[in-house]
This record gives sequence, C-alpha cells and structure tokens, in this order.
Amino acid sequence: MKILLVDDEKKFAMMLAKRLVLREIDVDYVFSGEEALVKAENAVYDVAVLDVKMPGIGGIELERKLKKLAPDLKIIFLTGHGSKTDFETGSAEAAYYLAKPIQIEELIRILHEVTGRG
Amino acid sequence: MTSAGEIHNNVDLAFFGKVNASISHELKNILAIISEAAGLLNDLTEMAAKGKDVEPAMLITCSRDIIEEIKRGFTTIKQMNTFSHSVDVPLKSVNLIEVLELMIELAGFLSIAGQVRFDPPQQAVPTVLTCPFRLQNLIYQALVFAFESAGSAAEIQVSMQPEKSGSIRITFSGLGSKSGRPFPDDQTQRIADSIGAEIRVTADLQGIDIVVPEVIESMK
Repeated sequence: MKILLVDDEKKFAMMLAKRLVLREIDVDYVFSGEEALVKAENAVYDVAVLDVKMPGIGGIELERKLKKLAPDLKIIFLTGHGSKTDFETGSAEAAYYLAKPIQIEELIRILHEVTGRG
Repeated sequence: MTSAGEIHNNVDLAFFGKVNASISHELKNILAIISEAAGLLNDLTEMAAKGKDVEPAMLITCSRDIIEEIKRGFTTIKQMNTFSHSVDVPLKSVNLIEVLELMIELAGFLSIAGQVRFDPPQQAVPTVLTCPFRLQNLIYQALVFAFESAGSAAEIQVSMQPEKSGSIRITFSGLGSKSGRPFPDDQTQRIADSIGAEIRVTADLQGIDIVVPEVIESMK
C-alpha cells in the first residue's frame, strides 16, 4: 500500500508519516497541494490523505485534480475543524473524513478498508 | 426592517465568531501535533522495550516538538484572551502597534493567509482613543482582502505613519489583483464610518490606507 500524505502543518505530516512507516506502510509526505500534484504525476499511490484547509490548493480542490490524474485513487480527508459543516461541504467522492487529532489505529483501519486490504 | 444597530450587532458577532473559529482551528492543529509527537514517543518507547534500536535523536525531536507546540498553544490562548477582552469597553485608548500585531497574527490563521511584513514605526508608540473591537474588525477585513488580492505565496507590507491631523495612517501594500471583489464593501465601510476611520484605496488597487482618528467621542 502506497500513501500520499498532504498537510501544511509540517511537523504533523512528518510525525504521522514516521508513525505509518513504523507500521510498515509506504508513505510519501508533502506540505502543499502543489507539491502533491508533482508527486502524483511521478508515482502511483493507492490512497491520498489530504488536509482540507491548506494555503494555495486546498484539500477539496486537490482531490479533484488528483482524481483527474489517477481516477482509482482513494481519498481520506483530514480536518482540523471536525465540524459537521465541513463534512457536508466536502466532496461526495471522499472515502472518509478524519478529525484531528487522529487515532493512528483508526487511520490504519480505514486505509485497509478503502484499499480492500483488511 | 433591520436597524443600523442590528446590522452592527450582526457584523460584530460574525467577526467575533470567525476569529474564534480560526483560533479553535489553530489550537486543534497544535493539539494534533502534540498528539502525533506523543504517539511517536510511545511507539519508540515500545520499540525500545522490545529490544529494538531507537535513535536518541528521534526522542529529542519528539520531546522538543511537544515543548514548542505547548508554547505555541499558550501564545495562541493569550491572543484569544486579548481578542476576547477587546469587547469589554466600547471606547478605550489602544496601542495601534499592539492591535496591528494581534490582527496580523489572528488573520494569519486563515488558510488564505500569506506572509506579512510589518515594520513598526521607530518614533513614539501611536495610541488612539477608539472602539478597539471595531478597529480590529476593520484591520482584519483589510488583511483578508490583502491576502485575497496578493495570494498566499506573496508577502504584503504593513506600515504606519502619523498624519498632520494627529490621525494615524496604516498602509497595506504589495497587493495584487487576485481578489475579484471591490474594497471596501458596504459592511467594511460601515465599520470604518462607525469609528470615524477613512479608507483610501490606491488607483491601481495595489495599496490600502486606513486612517484612524486620534480620538473619537463615541461610536456612530
């Protein structure tokens, strides 16, 4: 399973990626939507884990762009808000929303579920 | 029909809510980092307990990140407290540098925020007698428009100059043309009018001046 993690909170992205690697999950992380598109043009990912609110290309817009590049890519949104409003205004195609702070085991469970590798 | 007072109340409440929502988002991000750092520390501790090699540098990084984020959290809570108390009295003598710095920090929590360079004046600290909350709202609206116009990758400049009248001119420059909406809108103009402030936009839309009177007798 190969994951693309995108979050402008650099420390958060780096530490979450490290924790996923410790659990033997292959993960690339970047800090912006723009960087994510470059990554996605040069590698194949099973799942993209996207922060909703980011400067520049936000999570919702990024999902649309990533889906054009890789229609089978599964999407999980991370949100610092965690309010119902965010979920309702999000993309219908998103597999899951997770509110920060996240539980790593819950994220891993969802990763396995969306990729059918549970 | 909605009275002018009701309109002001709604605008004030909307601003208070927007700023508090952005602060709560910032605090959640801080807690998320602390949570991940603590989780990573726990992972590394479990690895060590199983006899696996753990790099001491990783432990140091996690601990340092937790300490830094706790400091960031306290700073954010202090900013929230200062902002919340700005509604305590309708008129107050305020330090314009402190007000500007607070609004730059709070507007910086927005996802559209770019970099802001603020060079405080070297001369005496400018103070004005005004409605602190409305002044904050006016500055915040100007910053939001500046971020929209310049884009999040750009840097906007903020400066402050006294006018001959005793008023203080706050200048926002380095704006672009990405906003696509006029400034000031009716709501922002009403906020300015209520504290006797003047909004001037340069002909090329690259800069905004907000002229804040030294003293107002009351809010309109």
